Amino acid sequence: MKARDAVFDTLKVKVDERPQSLPQDLVEALRLGAISILVLLIAAFLFSGVIGPLFALGGVEETVMDVLTRLSLLALPFVAYIGGASVARRYTRSDIARALGLAFSSTVILFAVISAGYYVLDYGVFAPRQSLQMTLSQSEAGIRVDAVVAGGAAETAGLQVGDVISAIRRDAVDLDAFNRRLSQSKEGDPLRLRFKRGEEELQETVRVVLVSDKQLGALWPGLALALAFTAIIVFLPGHWAPYIALVGLLSPLIVGYFWVIIATFSFRTEGLVPLDGNDNFGGFTLKNWESIFVGNIAGLEFNIVPIFMTSLAIAVVMTFVVLLVSSMAGYALSRMHFPGRRFFLSFTLILHGFPAITLLIPIFIVLLRLGNIPVIGELIGFNTVGGIALVMVAFQLPLGVWLMKGFFDNIPWDMERSALIDGASRWRTYWEILLPQIRPGLLALGIFAFIGGWNAYIIPATYSIGTGVSNLPVFLNELIDETAPVDWNQVAAVGLFQLIPIFIFFIFAQEYLLNIYAGGTKGSS
Amino acid sequence: MKVTIDNLSKKFGDVIGVENLTLHIEDGEFVAFLGPSGCGKTTTLLTLAGIYKPTDGVIRFGERVVNTVQPKDRNIGMVFQSYALYPHMTVFQNIAYPLKLKKVSKADQHDRVRQVANVMGIGELLDRRPGQLSGGQQQRVALGRALVKEPDVLLFDEPLSNLDARLRLTMRGEIKHLQKDLGITSIYVTHDQVEAMTMADRIAVMSGGHLQAFDSPDELYDRPKTQFVAGFVGNPPMNFVDVSVQASNGRFFAETESLRLEVQAARGAPPASYDGPVVMGIRPEDIQIASNGSVSGEIFVVEPLGREDLIDVRVGRHSFLLLADTEDRHQAGERVSLAFDMEQAQFFDPKTEKSLLWQ
Amino acid sequence: MSEQAKSSDSSVPRGILGSNALKSYLGAYGFMAPAGILVIVFFLIPVAIVLYLSLTNLASSNFTSNLAIMEFIGLKNYQTLLNDQFARKIFFNTIFYVLVTLSIFNVSLALLVSLLTTHIDRSAGFVFRALWILPRITSPVVYILIWKRMIAEAPFGIINQFNEALGQPTYNYISTNPWVFVVVVNGFIGVSFGMIIFTSAIESIPKDLLNASLVDGSSKLQRIRYVIMPLIRWPLLFVVTYQTLSLLTSFVEIQLLTDGGPGLYRTEVWSLTAYHRALSNYFGNAQWGYGSAFAVLLVMIGVVLAVIYMRVFRFDELIAEPRVEAL
Repeated sequence: MKARDAVFDTLKVKVDERPQSLPQDLVEALRLGAISILVLLIAAFLFSGVIGPLFALGGVEETVMDVLTRLSLLALPFVAYIGGASVARRYTRSDIARALGLAFSSTVILFAVISAGYYVLDYGVFAPRQSLQMTLSQSEAGIRVDAVVAGGAAETAGLQVGDVISAIRRDAVDLDAFNRRLSQSKEGDPLRLRFKRGEEELQETVRVVLVSDKQLGALWPGLALALAFTAIIVFLPGHWAPYIALVGLLSPLIVGYFWVIIATFSFRTEGLVPLDGNDNFGGFTLKNWESIFVGNIAGLEFNIVPIFMTSLAIAVVMTFVVLLVSSMAGYALSRMHFPGRRFFLSFTLILHGFPAITLLIPIFIVLLRLGNIPVIGELIGFNTVGGIALVMVAFQLPLGVWLMKGFFDNIPWDMERSALIDGASRWRTYWEILLPQIRPGLLALGIFAFIGGWNAYIIPATYSIGTGVSNLPVFLNELIDETAPVDWNQVAAVGLFQLIPIFIFFIFAQEYLLNIYAGGTKGSS
Repeated sequence: MKVTIDNLSKKFGDVIGVENLTLHIEDGEFVAFLGPSGCGKTTTLLTLAGIYKPTDGVIRFGERVVNTVQPKDRNIGMVFQSYALYPHMTVFQNIAYPLKLKKVSKADQHDRVRQVANVMGIGELLDRRPGQLSGGQQQRVALGRALVKEPDVLLFDEPLSNLDARLRLTMRGEIKHLQKDLGITSIYVTHDQVEAMTMADRIAVMSGGHLQAFDSPDELYDRPKTQFVAGFVGNPPMNFVDVSVQASNGRFFAETESLRLEVQAARGAPPASYDGPVVMGIRPEDIQIASNGSVSGEIFVVEPLGREDLIDVRVGRHSFLLLADTEDRHQAGERVSLAFDMEQAQFFDPKTEKSLLWQ
Repeated sequence: MSEQAKSSDSSVPRGILGSNALKSYLGAYGFMAPAGILVIVFFLIPVAIVLYLSLTNLASSNFTSNLAIMEFIGLKNYQTLLNDQFARKIFFNTIFYVLVTLSIFNVSLALLVSLLTTHIDRSAGFVFRALWILPRITSPVVYILIWKRMIAEAPFGIINQFNEALGQPTYNYISTNPWVFVVVVNGFIGVSFGMIIFTSAIESIPKDLLNASLVDGSSKLQRIRYVIMPLIRWPLLFVVTYQTLSLLTSFVEIQLLTDGGPGLYRTEVWSLTAYHRALSNYFGNAQWGYGSAFAVLLVMIGVVLAVIYMRVFRFDELIAEPRVEAL
């Protein structure tokens, strides 16, 4: 098999590897660093020079490509150092001195190369900065002007050495605040400065200019950072790397969900900080949770139990119907001959990729019509749990049928033949012999269906009126629509209330969900 | 129960599974379907089981035409290569399943399963699941499940090929015994000729969806009617040489540029009267290394088989496989002379591949 | 030959064979019936209706669920759509959204996460995957609420709070970088599908093969490159195609986050337009007919992609004939 050949290829590489001399190692480290730099430069160019303009041509007003470009350039030095240090890591266990020497020398060289690039291209630490072209220092009286650049912005505006700046417009500033304000302004922005010259109170407007001073001294913090980063890479235990990467990638979610938990237990928040009514830290409260169970949020009265039960009912009904209907169809498609089989199979695949949500309007009409049919209409018409569950079952069917067929395909034919010879009908064969054997598939599909049913929003919201069949997601939206002003911390609590059961369910179910590939998509591989 | 197959064909679209097969199997007979994989033997078996519907032809169990009878109504038992035990049921439930489907009472189910399990020697395993059993035990459970409903016909689909060699030998004997004791008409599909030769009353040799021969093992071995059967039956396989058979003075000689062997009149006359060269077949056991042999050659390869050595001897541009005692310690490169037992030689028409001796 | 067989035995009950075949088909149709009826009622009929609706001027002002009395206006909706000055922008917006989200998040990040979580302690892997599934199982309203709080202006926004702490300027992200967050917000939801499929595929690679490669001397990274990646080519293709269609039709998160704004259709995508035109009272009057025209075009794109998808997946291999012909 191909994979095996590939394995032997890697074996060859290993065999060819001989201990290298230090210069050879250094060359290899620099080569890896250079490749990293090149790859990221090309990526940055593709983002900002090719893909971005292409979409701009289509009228898309996006900044994603700018962000990607900036991220690539930001990551560039670090990736390069990792490239260099990865060679040094071979010696971390055997010869620490060699490892560190190799890593540091490659980092210093790469740092020099990158810095040279920055210098030439006016980028990074050498990028032009917002400046008023004067030197300032913090004194007791205020910000003292120590020097002004001849012909520069400050001098042109009329500032002189010895002036003491106290405020920008009406905002009193110290040096830190002044610099922050400066760094946030753009080229040409006017800054109206209040300052004292002797006893005289003056005001002048200085226009911000961009200056690149290119002082080599600015490099030292960068080099220190680079070396520290390199040392970390050299000593980092290899098995930590995936954990660090995973936590890093997850960090936005971790922060976000951390906020939502704080929010549900507090009066209000700014950023991640809970605040009380007087804008002081604190304001912890159980009110948000309490009111869910009391059944009164900002005057909106409700009973959480039937809403919870409706959610559960929709999810459970849907799961069972999806499992039954998909497994029956999957069985027939996998195991039986009938005219139309090919058609239905290809049709299922088309449905599988069908934007079902585009059918919201016509399905609404269908449900209205079904509602007019006596008896059946009571069960599956517009504004009934049955109708909503059936629509959602239909939307899940393509995936379900397809998965189930895959699982049935994986059961040996002899099993089926044996049952038929033993005297079973096709129905009993399906029910008693084959279904028990695709349990992993049923579990995986069931989990999918249950999560889908529990979180169903758009379909229950579109096809139900009033609270008769509202489930938790619909209730949540009602809460937003019908209370003013919306208490978002309260909304978060309801949202978390909905999330917790399904999250616990998922934690226990994940093991089974991972069987989805065992039969599901193998038909094609 | 007699099983009669007349002109049976089974096609899958354009692919021929089996074509124009006619076989009459007697009541209580043990018949093996022997052939290389893809020869149509399993297709035929599954058609007999009712899993496949015949494209053409007629199948009768006794006098009843069963072409359209569902598998469950044929009263057959079948043992599969993979055993096809239901993994979620215990051994007891597996064996009882056919009875349960026949709506046999619980008590009767219990009695009959016990009885069959004891016959099969798996009485201790009834509460286990198939996953907890060894290959041999699974095999016995499968056999038990096939027997429990007292079938009219037993079908075997290479049931021993997943077992190790030793166990295969034991099971071979057991199945044969059981079949004789119960007297159930049995059809046994295998690609292993030793199995077929030792167990079957008659063997149907199949190739490419066609029946090549249907005869007792001895007949197939001693009087093969086609070159395919001659080559397929017997291990190591028969040697084939293109020869021309000449008659001179009432004596017959099979000749090539490096061989000249005398053939008895009874065997030599039919090929001699054939216009042109014929295919001569001679089994390895009919060639001996002997000091007074009529043909000399050089040993090319020696393969030890344990009790015997399989020796490849080159004579001119021909190569002969033969068997020799390990004690003789033959070496590659050794020059030897060979004695051919021409009373056992077979002759075939090179065009039709039919035997020139037996029709 | 078949003639011969027929004449040689007249006792073969041909007629019964016919009725038996019919009976076995009926059995199969019985198994198919529930799925078939649902597909007809909730897919086929609605598709027909949406096609018809797109040819009418049905709106909430003249609503009727009686197809017979709707006013038929031919292809006028499609004409309006093509002349819509924003249709082009929305079209390219959609392509941008699908391509960028798919390539960065739904495929690359999903693959990365599944590779990372299968190369660490097994139970730790389960924990990380459970965290990654959070966005998918959180109610969209709350999930978007979280993100709105993440990117809100100071002092409420979490990112801006970090900015302030680091002495950086604060931004109104939703107006400066709306697309970045539309992509990120949907991308974080999209990771989980690929993650589950890929992880499942990686776990189903025989352990022998994985161990063999290590024994043969490859490093973990080399094993990913030379053993795992080639073996999960098919799930990769599956995720690409399936998620393309999912992204094409997803609009709830965008609706909640930016509702297509800021400004004129800056982050509007096709499915959101269909929803806006048809269901939300965007201009005070829900234009069902016109919205249906948008939906029909989306359906067509979906079907075309699905057909390509079938080709890629070697449809013929999926429909190997059943090897049992009994009833």
